Amino acid sequence: MSACVEVRGLGKAYGGRTAVAALDLDVPAGSIFGLLGPNGAGKTTTISMIAGVVTPDRGHATVAGHRVGADRGAQRVLGLCPQELALYDELSPRQNLTFFARLYGLRGQALADAIAWALDVAGLRDRADDPVRTFSGGMKRRLNLAAAILHKPTLVILDEPTVGVDPQSRRHLFDAIRALAAAGMTVLYTSHYLEEVAELCDRVAIMDHGAIVASGTVAELIARHGKPPLLELELAGDEATLLAARALAARHGPLDGAGAVVRLPQPPSLGPLIADLESAGARVVRITAQPTTLESVFLALTGHALRDE
Amino acid sequence: MIAAAIKKDLQLLARDRGALVTMFLLPIVFIAVFGSIFGGGDDDARRRLAVWSDPASPRAAAVVAVVKASGVFEVIEARDPDAARRAVADERADAALILPADFDPAAGHPAELAIDQAGPAQVRLPTIGAVTAIVTRAVFPPAAGADQPVLVAATPPGIRRELAGITGFQVTVPGNAVLFGFFLALTVGLAFLEERRAGTWRRILAAPVSRASILIGKLVPYFLIGLAQFAFLFTIGVVVFGMRIGGSVLALVALTVAVVACATSLGLAIAALGGTEKRLGSIGSVCLLVMGLLGGAMVPRVVMPPLLRAIGLAVPHSWALDGYTTLLVRDGAGLADVAPQIGALLAFATVFAAFGVWRFRWER
Ligand SMILES: Nc1ncnc2c1ncn2[C@@H]1O[C@H](COP(=O)(O)OP(=O)(O)OP(=O)(O)O)[C@@H](O)[C@H]1O
Ligand SMILES: [Mg+2]
Repeated sequence: MSACVEVRGLGKAYGGRTAVAALDLDVPAGSIFGLLGPNGAGKTTTISMIAGVVTPDRGHATVAGHRVGADRGAQRVLGLCPQELALYDELSPRQNLTFFARLYGLRGQALADAIAWALDVAGLRDRADDPVRTFSGGMKRRLNLAAAILHKPTLVILDEPTVGVDPQSRRHLFDAIRALAAAGMTVLYTSHYLEEVAELCDRVAIMDHGAIVASGTVAELIARHGKPPLLELELAGDEATLLAARALAARHGPLDGAGAVVRLPQPPSLGPLIADLESAGARVVRITAQPTTLESVFLALTGHALRDE
Repeated sequence: MIAAAIKKDLQLLARDRGALVTMFLLPIVFIAVFGSIFGGGDDDARRRLAVWSDPASPRAAAVVAVVKASGVFEVIEARDPDAARRAVADERADAALILPADFDPAAGHPAELAIDQAGPAQVRLPTIGAVTAIVTRAVFPPAAGADQPVLVAATPPGIRRELAGITGFQVTVPGNAVLFGFFLALTVGLAFLEERRAGTWRRILAAPVSRASILIGKLVPYFLIGLAQFAFLFTIGVVVFGMRIGGSVLALVALTVAVVACATSLGLAIAALGGTEKRLGSIGSVCLLVMGLLGGAMVPRVVMPPLLRAIGLAVPHSWALDGYTTLLVRDGAGLADVAPQIGALLAFATVFAAFGVWRFRWER
């Protein structure tokens, strides 16, 4: 697969503070690519440089073969959906979309078609002429997406497009994004929601402190950086029995939990562990396994949880 | 793209009731209030002179006839001396001429002129002067054949004749138009801030349009609305307040284009300074008010002390108002008469625009 976005050594500092440090990134054409990172990781700064909104201090980016900043070629083939609700609240969706479409040179029938299509994508056709200020957060988010795709870009950049939306609008947005990808658009999606990225994205890059710390498919990342699943066993027995059982369990891995609950990384085989517990006189009444998540990958890579707020 | 930007900003402005009120309604209120305070209007009307003469004195009767014939005063005939004095006290007359039976200036028996000695000098002195002159000529008529005018008033060349019947509106219409017209700069600055705050700025920057056309697309709509504002205020000035335009309308249009261009560039400079909406709203409006004050938008510069008048030249308002005063008050004034003012305003506009472009921060 060829790369739709190629980023090489991209860097940006604000007043001596590094926002993005020498970043390399390849977004395969046709993929939904997740850029995952906590607040302040540098996601917005990175995509702003790719979109030509922010001038990098060093390095460069290309979009569909156009070098960003050299001319407006890259900007013609990309659409940006900013993190803010970048809309004119006092105007209607139609007025908003008309203005943004004309920035891309659309006029006449092409303009009307583009607006009708984008309104359909956003599911806002019947509210097209109401002022945006009367919309719910979810409707505004959908319109925010519509305004980024009017010119049918090769690359759609979505900066945290689901902030503050209800599950129904999120579902709508996800379906719309999948449809765009199915129609051949490449999607670059930033988020600090792991579940979103895991659900939606083919590939993920994890970003922290202005640098990419890992990238690949979700499965690859878990296989490469995830710890084995965590096993939780609930035992029954008196206090002395439980104490003895815990001591034996500790031979099978670093132990966690307290009292009747024993937690430890899943050993290669369960038989010996259960045999040990039962030999101490305890009964195993429940076993659950927590699968490895992107969250734990993130924790392992950065040493802190993704959402610290 | 620029056409789309103009349309969009005009749509936004049309929904901004606050801005519309400040631009179009508030100045009308100011013009109406201050215009009627500084009144004028009846300044050129004839002064009212109450007159009483003792029927026993033919000399007195002759004087009254001359006063009436002169046409200088609107003569109110009083029933008796006290009625004449009361007319002055009640402000039904500006002065009262009372000619007693023994009226004979040559013998040391003058007439009485009842007038408020503490009244405004502009009314008091010419009234006393005119009555004295008329009465003197009546009592001591020149010899036959020598009955010629002693002087003829004429405007020397180089001064254009001022329009007759100038009212306070001749000053308050341009004054408030300029004061409120320059507030356009604040509207422009706020429009840039709002675009950044909303994030639409980011969207515009991500589009394939040059940065020059982004700036032009943002400034032109406000330039147009500024022109509309001046056209509106001057039209109301003429139609409703009876303001007269002595000079050329073409020159008035040229001057207004320069004024609005200057206000728009000042807006770009303000946008380049950045800051928050709140700070812009407070500091910005105070600055514009002070500039208006120094520039003579509230108190005409002609009545300012020389130092203040010199300081005033540092703000574009003063040039704008000097230009408007020339065009509104001087009969037949043309483009050449306001060329210095137009030049100065365009120079201000260039400096503001250059500063704005130089300091403009594209990335927040
Ligand atoms: N215009 C700016 N001026 C100064 N510092 C900035 C600017 N833009 C970003 N930064 C800083 O750069 C760093 C990265 O910011 P960025 O917005 O790219 O992060 P992010 O990953 O998008 O965060 P979030 O999830 O909160 O949107 C932060 O420390 C931020 O404070
Ligand atoms: Mg961000």
